[in-house]
Amino acid sequence: MGLKGRGTIPAPFSKMRNRIGRFFYRHPGVEGFLFALPYMALWAVFLAWPVVYGIYISLFDWDPLRGSKFVGLANYLELFREPRFWNAVVNTFKFAGMTIPLILGLGFVFALMVWGWGRKRRGIVVVQASLFFPYLLNVSIVAIVWKWLLERDVGLFQHYLNSIFPSAPVFLTEPAWALPAIAVATAWWLAGYRMLVFQAGLEEIPVELFESAEIDGARPYHKLVHLILPLIKPSLLFALVLTTISAFRTFGQVLIMTEGGPGWASEVLALYLYRVGFDYFDIGKAAASGVVLLFLILVITLLGVRILGLKSELQ
Amino acid sequence: MRKSFLWALVIGLILGVWATAEPIKLTFNTLFHEADAKAMEKIIEMFNEEYKGKIEVELIQGRWAQYYAELRLSVLAGTPPQIGICHTNKLVEMADYLTPLNASPVGDLIEMAGIDPAKYVDAAWAAGEIEGRHYLIPLDTHGWGLWYNKDIFAEVGLDPKKPPRTLAEFIDACERIKAAGYYAFHPAEDALPRKLRRAWYVFFWQMGGQLFDEDYIHATFNNPKGLLALQFLVDIFNDFGWNEPGSNGYNQFAAGKLGMLVAGNWFYGTAAKSGVNWGYAPMPNFFGTPYTWGNSHQLVIPLQPKGTPREVYLAAMEVIKFISEHSYIWTMYGGHITAYKPAAENTELLASEYWIRSGKWLNEMAQKGLVHYPINHPKGSELEHAIQAQIELAVNGVISPQEALAKAEEECNKILQGG
Repeated sequence: MGLKGRGTIPAPFSKMRNRIGRFFYRHPGVEGFLFALPYMALWAVFLAWPVVYGIYISLFDWDPLRGSKFVGLANYLELFREPRFWNAVVNTFKFAGMTIPLILGLGFVFALMVWGWGRKRRGIVVVQASLFFPYLLNVSIVAIVWKWLLERDVGLFQHYLNSIFPSAPVFLTEPAWALPAIAVATAWWLAGYRMLVFQAGLEEIPVELFESAEIDGARPYHKLVHLILPLIKPSLLFALVLTTISAFRTFGQVLIMTEGGPGWASEVLALYLYRVGFDYFDIGKAAASGVVLLFLILVITLLGVRILGLKSELQ
Repeated sequence: MRKSFLWALVIGLILGVWATAEPIKLTFNTLFHEADAKAMEKIIEMFNEEYKGKIEVELIQGRWAQYYAELRLSVLAGTPPQIGICHTNKLVEMADYLTPLNASPVGDLIEMAGIDPAKYVDAAWAAGEIEGRHYLIPLDTHGWGLWYNKDIFAEVGLDPKKPPRTLAEFIDACERIKAAGYYAFHPAEDALPRKLRRAWYVFFWQMGGQLFDEDYIHATFNNPKGLLALQFLVDIFNDFGWNEPGSNGYNQFAAGKLGMLVAGNWFYGTAAKSGVNWGYAPMPNFFGTPYTWGNSHQLVIPLQPKGTPREVYLAAMEVIKFISEHSYIWTMYGGHITAYKPAAENTELLASEYWIRSGKWLNEMAQKGLVHYPINHPKGSELEHAIQAQIELAVNGVISPQEALAKAEEECNKILQGG
């Protein structure tokens, strides 16, 4: 009785509800907009506005205490003249070139393993959790652990490696090895989450397709290339965008593991930006390098989407 | 009439009680961590106890890496701490963000607080002034010295009570230790790039080298002295076989595998806990004058927002004065040598194990003017990064010392000349 009583809406409210209903019916976009509004407000304040403000201050010799001076594109020109900046750009591309395939490849292999074996084995949840676990760690912890592992005197990995190969490189102190070592640590950290993304994509593929492929005599390789890869394209796109962004923004692990060294051998753009901004306090120039980084990520991501032919998925 | 007077009296009394009961709250943001953070905690706890109900200090510590960036940003955001720390050589970079204590918006705070400059180590006090404006109250001097393993010394036939003082003695000690199968010497703590740079500074300064000309227009280290200093550093890790590139001296020493280590006074806690039978000595005289690398922590009032009450400034100065007067605790537990002369004569400090085993030697170096401060320039951080990148490459054998100095010189000149 109580429920029935609560369900009755007084006449004036009922009229209002009908009117609102009619309004949303006539303007179908408004309802969606209102649902998105709280997020959009936060996004505008904490993401869009800082980006716009960053672009704005990149045009200034920024010094709020003594007064900022408009310098146009001078910060960009100074940046482009600086060999250290270009070194950081090259290092960023090198790092992305190593880390993106490594993370996606590992994530995909893990996903295939869990998905393929998961149906047959009971303890697969433990394996899955173990593979995902590193992703739960903070970047500082990941970097410190790997730094210890690769330490010359007390590093576990370095110790066993040297006992097999006495003249093996000391990874974090040799220019040629510093970035690859950080890339491996990063892949260990991030591959678990990509595994989940790929696994979700794999679960979506109807079993019937595999059955009919088997009837047609398809081998595992054929199933992988002609069935699995085309059908997990949306997951691949998501993982690619995510990994590209994180690879180009890489900062914490480089700062902790090598401080950008030896020399500038592992100084990536985000670390360069941080130093210019917060060590040298040249905020205008740091903002300019931030804009360049943003532009790079945008171009590379869109390029990836285009190359993979995923326009339809995006739409 | 009478009734309203009584009401006013009651309200006045309540407000008065409320006003007197509410202490002035101050924030003290430091970059200390580990032993020195604990020492500062002790001092601030004592202060809060003594000034209960009047001044209350909230201590925030431990964020070393971003400290100066945070301090600047907090000033810009209008929410600075009322007390902070500044290294002496950072003053030129930070001056705009600090309150000139003798010309603050409420007057000469040094005079108002009754702080007597004569009670501080002269050089440390003098370092706090730019163009007649005094920004810093000295807290300490800290720096590098020589830590050595007495058991290894005895094992290789060296006198554990006589650590090497000259280059010849030093080379002899290193060769004996190396022959016994130990790492002989590490000149730079954990060999981070900035530590390698400091080690090179020490050798270079000992030869009488100057990093830059007086006007900071040109780098002046790419010369035979600079080269000899760098070659010596490179050889320690390579040709001499006294250690290996990329090795961590802290770990080697604490594991009992290293004969001699150059490290700061902050290594005391680790050394004491390591179980190693260690000794401490002033920096050996390698090349002429036995300079060591060092610096000085100083107390500051960051630039406060307009309209900050006079009471807040005075309370901050009260805290600073208290810290100075109790800085023997700072030395005893934090390891840094107090810059406040009366505190350095504290009997408890002079009888403490820290002072007897290592502090007195660092103090001796400071008193003799052998603690050499680093680059003091608005672009100091940028210059130091430019130098250390090349030093590290040379130590790791990637480029020659000549190349390293030439590149570092070129980069420094570009930075100095705005190229």
